[in-house]
Parts: sequence; C-alpha cells; structure tokens
Amino acid sequence: MIDLLATHYNYLMFVALVAIGLYGVTASPNLVKKVIGLNIFQVGIFLFFVTSGYVDGAVPPVVHGDVAGTYASPLPHVLILTAIVVGVSLTAVALALIVRIYDAYGTLDEEAIREVQTE
Amino acid sequence: MTPVSTSLAVILTFAVLAAIAAILLRDVLNAIIAFAAFSFGIAVAWILLAAPDVALTEAAVGAGITTVLFLVTIAKTVRPGGERLFERIAWRSVAIVAVLVGALLTTIRSLPAVGSSEAPVATSRITEYYLQNAYPETGVENVVTAVLAAYRGFDTLGEATVVIAAGLAVLLVLRQEAYV
Repeated sequence: MIDLLATHYNYLMFVALVAIGLYGVTASPNLVKKVIGLNIFQVGIFLFFVTSGYVDGAVPPVVHGDVAGTYASPLPHVLILTAIVVGVSLTAVALALIVRIYDAYGTLDEEAIREVQTE
Repeated sequence: MTPVSTSLAVILTFAVLAAIAAILLRDVLNAIIAFAAFSFGIAVAWILLAAPDVALTEAAVGAGITTVLFLVTIAKTVRPGGERLFERIAWRSVAIVAVLVGALLTTIRSLPAVGSSEAPVATSRITEYYLQNAYPETGVENVVTAVLAAYRGFDTLGEATVVIAAGLAVLLVLRQEAYV
C-alpha cells in the first residue's frame, strides 16, 4: 500500500476528489453546496485523464518541426478542455435553476423545500 | 521522487484539503472561497503535469467564471450562516462514499504508475500520430490547439453548441426573455 502512495499518488488523489464530490452532492442540505460538490467530482475525473497522458520529464506538446523528446499526450488535454467548458455551462444552468427555486420557495435548504411542497 | 513529483504531491494534497474545506464549511461564502482556492491549486497541478492549455482554462473558467457565478447566486439568494463553522458529518453519505472508494481502490493497482513511459496513453498510436503529423498537416505548433480546432473540430463545434444552449437556458430560466 505504501509503494502505491509513491507510484500512484495522482490516482489516489483522484479517488479522494471523487469521494469528496460525491459526499458533497449527497450530504449537503444546501443546493449551492451540492453544485460545488458536483464540480469537485468533475475535477477528480479531469485529474484521472490528464494524469493518464503524463510521462516523467515530459514537456507540453508544442512541437517545432521535429518531434525529438518526450511530450505529454495531447489527446487527454483536448478532451478535458472541452469538458471544462461544458462543465461551466452545466454549472451556470444549475445555478440559474437554484435562483428560480429560491424565488419560488424562499429557501435553498433541501428539507425545507420538501416541507413546502408537501403542505 | 523527482522534484516535480514532490511538488505535484504537495499541490494535490493542498487541493484535496481545500475541497474538503469547501464541502464541510457551513457558510456558503466560505465554501466558495475554499472552492476557488481548490481550483487554483488544480490549475498549478495541470502545469506540473505538462498541460498548460488545461491550466489556463482551469484558472480562467474554473477559478474565475465559476466563482463569479457562485457569488452572483448567493448575492441573489440566501447565505445560511449559524453559530457552527462546519457541517455535521452525514454518516449515511459516508457509507455511500465508502462503497465508491472501496470499488475504485481495488482498480488502482492495475493502473500504470504515474509518469510511466510504458503507460498505454503515452505509447498509443493516436498520440504518436498527433505528435508526428499535427505540425506538417495543420501548421500549428501547439498540438493541443491543432487537435482541438482541426482534427476534432466537430467536437469543438458541439462544445460551442452546448455553451449557446446553456446560455439560452439560463436566460429562459431567469425569465429574461427580452434578451433572447
């Protein structure tokens, strides 16, 4: 287990971030905190992808004609760039819905919203 | 351990601690500040992982725009305070998370070591192809840009469609039809 800590540290941090994100989504009563949890979960996945394309001593994939040398794989970077932008779009829509929920119910607490609904 | 991997481990640990703070702090404003710190930590980690394009996007979009969106939201809604600094631990959620962590940890051992030159992604034919041909075929020195705008151009068009759709959805949800 200790040797895993040295060689697979990024992947262990990926598990930690995904765990923190899932905890935030499921445990926080406040809707804004749930969206923060969603974002942390998502960054955990990004860490997994970017780590998979990294090689020790690699430089960013900017080539000048010849390709001698070690480069990080560009493909995970491209996928994550797209995912970051899609993620912020998703966050914007979620937060707009939260503003409307607050207008309608006057609270952002999950339990309080449920009580208002059953009344 | 190389100096890069040591600083990477330090910055990732910082990011995880900031993420824990963002979830456990009760005041939402404190949580948002912790989340912004988390995003900046992750942006530094991307630089150490040789992904400067991702780092720039993360710093501008993750730490910048997302934080502003959260701040606007709590300015328009409430900011639940209270005497307690931290949330109470919800043990039912801890149980759910423990199942996920258990499942993921069993897979960690079968992944290649971080930075291994035999890692499947680093040695894959697609990576080789892009590095060899991106400059001759597109004339762009930054391979990430070449793949984003040329090889996967339709993917980026789809991304732009998502952004437009999200912008329209925000305007409709907030009943700002005058701008649509």
